Amino acid sequence: MKSFTIIGENVPRTDGEAKATGTAVYADDIKLPRMLHGALLRSPLPHARIKRINVKKAAALPGVKCVITGEDTPKIRYGNWRLFPATQDEYPLAVDKVRFIGDEVAAVAAVDKETAREALELMEVEYEELPAAFDVKAATKKGAPVLHEETPTNISVDRKIQYGDIEKGFRESDYVREDTFTVHAVSHAYLEPCSCVAQTDLDGRITLWTSTQTPYIVQCLLASTMGLRENDIRVIVPHVGGGFGGKMELRPWEFCAAFMARKTGRPVKFTLTREEELATGRRRHPMTLKSKVGFKKDGTLMAKDLEIMLDGGAYNAMGPTATFLCGNFGAMLYRYPNYRFIGKHIYTNKPPASAMRGFGAPQSLFAAESQMNIAAQDMGLDPIDLRIKNAQVTGDTIPDVATISSCGFIESLKEVAKMSNWKRKRKNMKAGKGVGVGCYSFISGGVFNWFNTQFPFSAAEVRAFDDGTVHLLTMATDIGQGSNTAVKMILAEELGLRMEDIRITSADTAMTPQADLGSWGSRVTLMNGNAVIDAARKIKEQIFGAVSAHRKLNVIYDFECKDGMVYPKGRPDKGMTFGEAVSLVQKANRGEPLVARGSYTPRGKGLVTPAFSFGAQVAEVDVDMETGQVTVEKMWTAHDCGTVINHMAVEGQLEGSIHMGLGYALSEQFVMEEGKTLNTTFLDYKMPNAMDMPPGASVCIETYEEEGPMGAKEAGEGLVSPTAPAIADAVFHATGYRCKDLPITPEKILNDLKKK
Amino acid sequence: MSLSKFDYYSPGTVEEASRLLLDIGEGAFLLAGGTDLLVKCNHGMVHPKAVVSLNKIKDLDTIRLDRKKGLTIGAGARLADVEENRDIKRYYPAVAYAASQTANTQIRNMGTVAGNLCNAAPSAENAPTLMAMNAKVVLVGKNGQRRLPLEDFFKGPGLTAIEPGEVLTAIFVPVPPAKSGTSYQHISARGRVDISAVCVGAMVVLNGNQCEEVRIVLGAVAPVPMRAKKAEKILEGQKAGQDLIEKAADQASRESKPITDVRASAAYRKSMVRVLTKRALNEALERARKAKG
Repeated sequence: MKSFTIIGENVPRTDGEAKATGTAVYADDIKLPRMLHGALLRSPLPHARIKRINVKKAAALPGVKCVITGEDTPKIRYGNWRLFPATQDEYPLAVDKVRFIGDEVAAVAAVDKETAREALELMEVEYEELPAAFDVKAATKKGAPVLHEETPTNISVDRKIQYGDIEKGFRESDYVREDTFTVHAVSHAYLEPCSCVAQTDLDGRITLWTSTQTPYIVQCLLASTMGLRENDIRVIVPHVGGGFGGKMELRPWEFCAAFMARKTGRPVKFTLTREEELATGRRRHPMTLKSKVGFKKDGTLMAKDLEIMLDGGAYNAMGPTATFLCGNFGAMLYRYPNYRFIGKHIYTNKPPASAMRGFGAPQSLFAAESQMNIAAQDMGLDPIDLRIKNAQVTGDTIPDVATISSCGFIESLKEVAKMSNWKRKRKNMKAGKGVGVGCYSFISGGVFNWFNTQFPFSAAEVRAFDDGTVHLLTMATDIGQGSNTAVKMILAEELGLRMEDIRITSADTAMTPQADLGSWGSRVTLMNGNAVIDAARKIKEQIFGAVSAHRKLNVIYDFECKDGMVYPKGRPDKGMTFGEAVSLVQKANRGEPLVARGSYTPRGKGLVTPAFSFGAQVAEVDVDMETGQVTVEKMWTAHDCGTVINHMAVEGQLEGSIHMGLGYALSEQFVMEEGKTLNTTFLDYKMPNAMDMPPGASVCIETYEEEGPMGAKEAGEGLVSPTAPAIADAVFHATGYRCKDLPITPEKILNDLKKK
Repeated sequence: MSLSKFDYYSPGTVEEASRLLLDIGEGAFLLAGGTDLLVKCNHGMVHPKAVVSLNKIKDLDTIRLDRKKGLTIGAGARLADVEENRDIKRYYPAVAYAASQTANTQIRNMGTVAGNLCNAAPSAENAPTLMAMNAKVVLVGKNGQRRLPLEDFFKGPGLTAIEPGEVLTAIFVPVPPAKSGTSYQHISARGRVDISAVCVGAMVVLNGNQCEEVRIVLGAVAPVPMRAKKAEKILEGQKAGQDLIEKAADQASRESKPITDVRASAAYRKSMVRVLTKRALNEALERARKAKG
């Protein structure tokens, strides 16, 4: 294991104080002179043709400055999958048709929010209602309503992965079982609802402050939908109150703010309400997962056949990626010598599902891990022993996908069993009490270039100054996950500086290095971390040369940067301060600023990701056998995220994951009727709160990931996956009820108990 | 979201508040903690013309225990005050407990028990226990004061027996009979901090080992908090054993009239009425047995 100065320490977040004291500026805090307030008119119908829109009364309301409908816009479709334009199926405002309750139909900008909302009431839209399909079954049956004419089957994406010979694998199996699992939609429920402010300059160029994970994607797609050049758009990301995958696309309000800012010459702000977020916002894909697995008598896995139907909602959004990834995650964790995956992404008349923390893994792994627990039960094996027998290890390859370059899965399983006293608890629990296990593997960013950019995946710029400070410019977007802190720590380590020596500017497309696909898929620490190191090394190359020449060293030394000094290794007496070294380089270059660009694009790492992380979790539950209520009493976690960059940050991610996994397993769901969401506030959208959080214990299994910055890889996103299967298994252990249909509600438990 | 414009009054006496309500007429709303009113304003469910605050009225937040007569909880008393009051915790533990189970800490620091009743949600957390204990509400209007049993107070979801111009100034809970015990039980979908999907309040008065009086009140399973009178009858005059308690709980479940909504299905609510009634009766009995004779 390498030794570090700052990496692995508990470093408080650079934005912590501003957030704790309420001084951090979020998009909705921005107020500009003459700013207008926008509001969106949304479809009240799940599927309809727009016959006529009359905006006259709304436009005539005093205080209303601008009203637009799809007809006023350039009508250019967009979507994140630019590589395949056929997948780009959304207009900023509806053209001809609406496809879900909440689909954006028109926008109003007025002098204040109340006037804008009042104007919405005056809009007159004549619809011709069309039959609608609310689930994958209804959308794929014969004669089903067609959402998009280009896709008469409603199947917008399909994907197959196959290797080995599954037929042979099943033939050679002693034990084969098939199960169908269904999982439901849940909300990202980020604390900051979506918000943006657009301003136009005298040349018509746009500056957009927006709560996003992906400033570069917003910049490109906003330019294309407005018929502008990318450089005409500047996207700045203020503090962001969480994203979890829900803020990684161009959104209609961003387009409307920019479009109406140009039309009126005044800044325009949109801020969504929580009700809008819950009723119409992006969400995790509901899926139906049919899974068949085969084992030898001794527990050796022989084959897996996985078929997944994704309920995509009305548009593709990030559905294509989810379709690819749930198949990839289905092949992770264990050695499946023969594997087949078929995935279909299906349109339905509901708010679109998209990326959400785990990105296909929570669904795929709920099925895989639950089935592993069922199989262990059937074969009379301990579920952790069965996992250890089949676990992936360092060096394993997944055909066409990746080579696992570091893997601490077996160590995680053994550690979590030890921590939780698994063997004893699994044998001796009272009725109503149980323990269960679930595991995960996750990616450190994606490799497949669906956004189709010619730029590096991630980039960073370092400017060094003779006062001993540096300025780091990066498009890595801090959405609350702490990337500003993490990349600063990596730079501080590499240059031997302190956190306070580094100024950071992140996520401003006019200032920070072009491209970088943003914060999603747990890509930032690995990819941007590598780009930062690349830039820092270029700086070091220059200062080492200058120091060497200045000291007239006649031996070729290795140099190092440490504690603000630059010196030949082992010869601190020949060193100087970092600032003095920078000044030498500048003097040698006619005063040119000392600046270096670094970048990272994975090479030779397969199709999916440069690195995988792993982990195992045990849940202990108490089930009230009369009410069916489940209390999670404790969670134990052991996970391998490579080198830990910041312990505090990893722990925070783990707690957040458990919180989200808890809601997914037990209490969160959308109550919908004919496409209409009935629970649109936190009173009835049952996200767990602080009082519901179980105590936990965790251990980081340290491995060193050669592809990662200082050995680091993903930490935090993958952890959202094991919680639901672990809780489900614990509930089975406590009650005998095996959940194959999330969420685990008291009613489902009681109904099952009644049957027995 | 910002509120639309309204006039704001902060009278110093109940009489003044009552007069303001009558003068302004429809569109005048009383404000105590604001935890229900402001949410309704924000969601556009009400559009007040005027808001009349009770918070400047002297002594309206008083909590007073008279060991001979009973407990008076002023309309301005916050849920947190009730939850933490030493007398209430000692002599009316189920009342303190119900207050402590209402919403979350922040809301309990602002919201009032009186407001929880006046909001008249079928799920109102503080109603079942108070009704089980024969509480009365004190209403002050232009014709003076009247006392109304809480049982007659609720008229439907969001509807009460408050007449125009009347202000609910206090809740009065009589001294619990000797050898009596009360209990509050509730259940929701989110575990520890949540609105109730079903709640039950019960009081049992013992005479020797016989149940002299039993009151069972169910919340969130009918348009208003309701007595399960047939269930009460099963136990009255009887020695309460487990069999009889189960029978009463079954009967309470049959008497309840729940609907299916986003919080629970009607079937689940019915079966929870049985479980919670049983638990409430058992706890109330336990407390009654321990109570001084």
